[in-house]
Amino acid sequence: MEKEEIIQDAGEIPVSTAAVYSESIHEDRTAKMFLISSIVYFFIVGIIALLIAAKFVFPTFLGTIPQLTYGRLRPLHVNGMLFGWLLACDMALMYYIVPRLCGVKLWSEKLGMATAVLWNVIILGAVVSLLMGWNQGWEYAELPLPLDVAVVVAWVMFGANLFLTIANRKYKAMYVSLWYAMGTILWTAFVYLTGNFATLFATGVNQANLNWMYVHNAVGLIFTPVGLAIAYYFIPKTSNTPLYSHKLSMIGFWSLAFVYVWTGAHHMIHGPISQWLQTITIVFSVMLLIPVWAAVYNFFSTMKGQWHQLRDNVSLKFLMSGVVFYLLTCFQGPMHSLRAVNAIVSKTDWIPGHAHMAVLGAFSFFAIAGAYYMVPRVFKTELYSNALANWSFWLFLIGGLGFFVTLWLGGFWQGWQWNNPAIPFIDTVIALKPIWHTRLASGFLMFGGIVAFAYNILATIVGSKGKEVHAEPAAAAA
Amino acid sequence: MLQKADYNAAFFVAAALILFFIGGLLTTVVPPLLDQSWTKPFENNDPANGPTGKLKPLNEQQLQGRAIYVREGCWYCHTQQTRTLLADTKRSGWRGVDAPISTPDEFVYDNPHLFGTKRTGPDLSRVGGKYNEQWHMAHFRNPADLVPGSIMPPFPWIANDPKEFAALVAYMQTLGRSKNWRPDNDYEK
Repeated sequence: MEKEEIIQDAGEIPVSTAAVYSESIHEDRTAKMFLISSIVYFFIVGIIALLIAAKFVFPTFLGTIPQLTYGRLRPLHVNGMLFGWLLACDMALMYYIVPRLCGVKLWSEKLGMATAVLWNVIILGAVVSLLMGWNQGWEYAELPLPLDVAVVVAWVMFGANLFLTIANRKYKAMYVSLWYAMGTILWTAFVYLTGNFATLFATGVNQANLNWMYVHNAVGLIFTPVGLAIAYYFIPKTSNTPLYSHKLSMIGFWSLAFVYVWTGAHHMIHGPISQWLQTITIVFSVMLLIPVWAAVYNFFSTMKGQWHQLRDNVSLKFLMSGVVFYLLTCFQGPMHSLRAVNAIVSKTDWIPGHAHMAVLGAFSFFAIAGAYYMVPRVFKTELYSNALANWSFWLFLIGGLGFFVTLWLGGFWQGWQWNNPAIPFIDTVIALKPIWHTRLASGFLMFGGIVAFAYNILATIVGSKGKEVHAEPAAAAA
Repeated sequence: MLQKADYNAAFFVAAALILFFIGGLLTTVVPPLLDQSWTKPFENNDPANGPTGKLKPLNEQQLQGRAIYVREGCWYCHTQQTRTLLADTKRSGWRGVDAPISTPDEFVYDNPHLFGTKRTGPDLSRVGGKYNEQWHMAHFRNPADLVPGSIMPPFPWIANDPKEFAALVAYMQTLGRSKNWRPDNDYEK
């Protein structure tokens, strides 16, 4: 009985207690700085995304300048979006959420600001080195060694700051979002070391296995847990509804902690890697459905009777469509790992469709929702324009769906063609051209979403100078 | 059992790391210890055991070529693995001879590995020896001239640099050649 009460407490922290403190004790300088820089990169790297999408339609476009070829812009797009935009925005939100769930100030704003500066130095270093072709040759781990070391230092600074905040916490019970934040910090450390340092001591298939462990878990144990930390915090918070089940969130978290790390080698199914290892990764990939469904069911049940709130609440729109994309992308993943499906979709354009649904559709939607919620509160003002925020949602949603769905169709079609060796390879390239046109058009829509989002946030921040709207509307809306 | 982790951060950290390390160690450290083919270079002299041949490390020029392949990001669009799929062995094949599937022991010296995840262009795991230098020269100048419909961009700065061009082609001619899988040398002699 007593246990139940305390658990109930943990579930309610984001709705009640934390809100009381949120407007008074927090400085949020670090959160602000991370957030602003992440949105700037979102915009810049969005332009690069359009350039590489255009290269599929116009192959010689900007093609005679080595620094602007596909082979150099693609890693810049991937690294820029993953680390410049998404991870930085996620970190901003952690600097915002964690102190509130602990009921204390961030351990050190100074350390936080230093982390933000270092992070920006890393991203700028990445831009220079990737354009110059200083590429280590490992997917997601392209950056040269000195930058890898800097990332580790920045991550330790980030982790120490949050862990010390948690150690000083006022509330004994730790809400789900705190587990996911801590899990992200711990697992990322080891996943990153594996992908960027352990690989230095291995070659061939052994190295590839370490590389895929990192690539897969960069999504599975970095962006997934930090994304879920955000979703678990903001879904109850922005809808003012307590989380449906604490037990279910425990099942989701601890099964994720155990299952995810086994699945890296599913990037090599049918490839030159031991068959038994392929089978193990397939089994564990299918088991991923457990943590995914536990989280998704929890979110849907939380919203029961509250769906009408989506009409006027842009953050909630992003959050709940992000949950749907999370469910879809995590249903695709286990299915891809099955040998029969893998034989069709692996290495095709289906895969970017899948990857973009995870990183853009699910986790960027969570981050955007968090940004829309956080910015008016930390700058003590109101959002510049709700209508513009709504526009950003629909542009992202329609552009995103256009991107995902056409690439799935195209990828499946391509895979079937590849499996018929009577069709020359070049014909399978030519067949995909309409798909790539649609992708570019969808890209423009998504970029429109980025512009609307970035402008809205920056206008809110600029507009906040001088007009100190009190914390009132923020607290009321919460 | 894990409810203690709701209140005790140290217990939480221990539990999260232990669960992570079970799978982490079993899937990264253990497999190369169990499967020797990950670290033992390919060598076979008995035709009864499949294609014969021996994996040799790359020479200096070939390594330079490989570095160019990495620098230009060729591996974002070209995979290097003939998978255990019938269609892959046909597509990697040459003039009616099916290519053998790629095995871990053919890649022991690869650093960085270049297996790739996306096939925007064709797989290159068995491309060595198929096209001569002139073909590659024309192809790097403008791929669509030789393969109408190709979306590979031109690489004039490689085609116009004799040293880089020679190195890159030298590297590509090694791909998939450790296994003697087809009648010798279509153009070399």
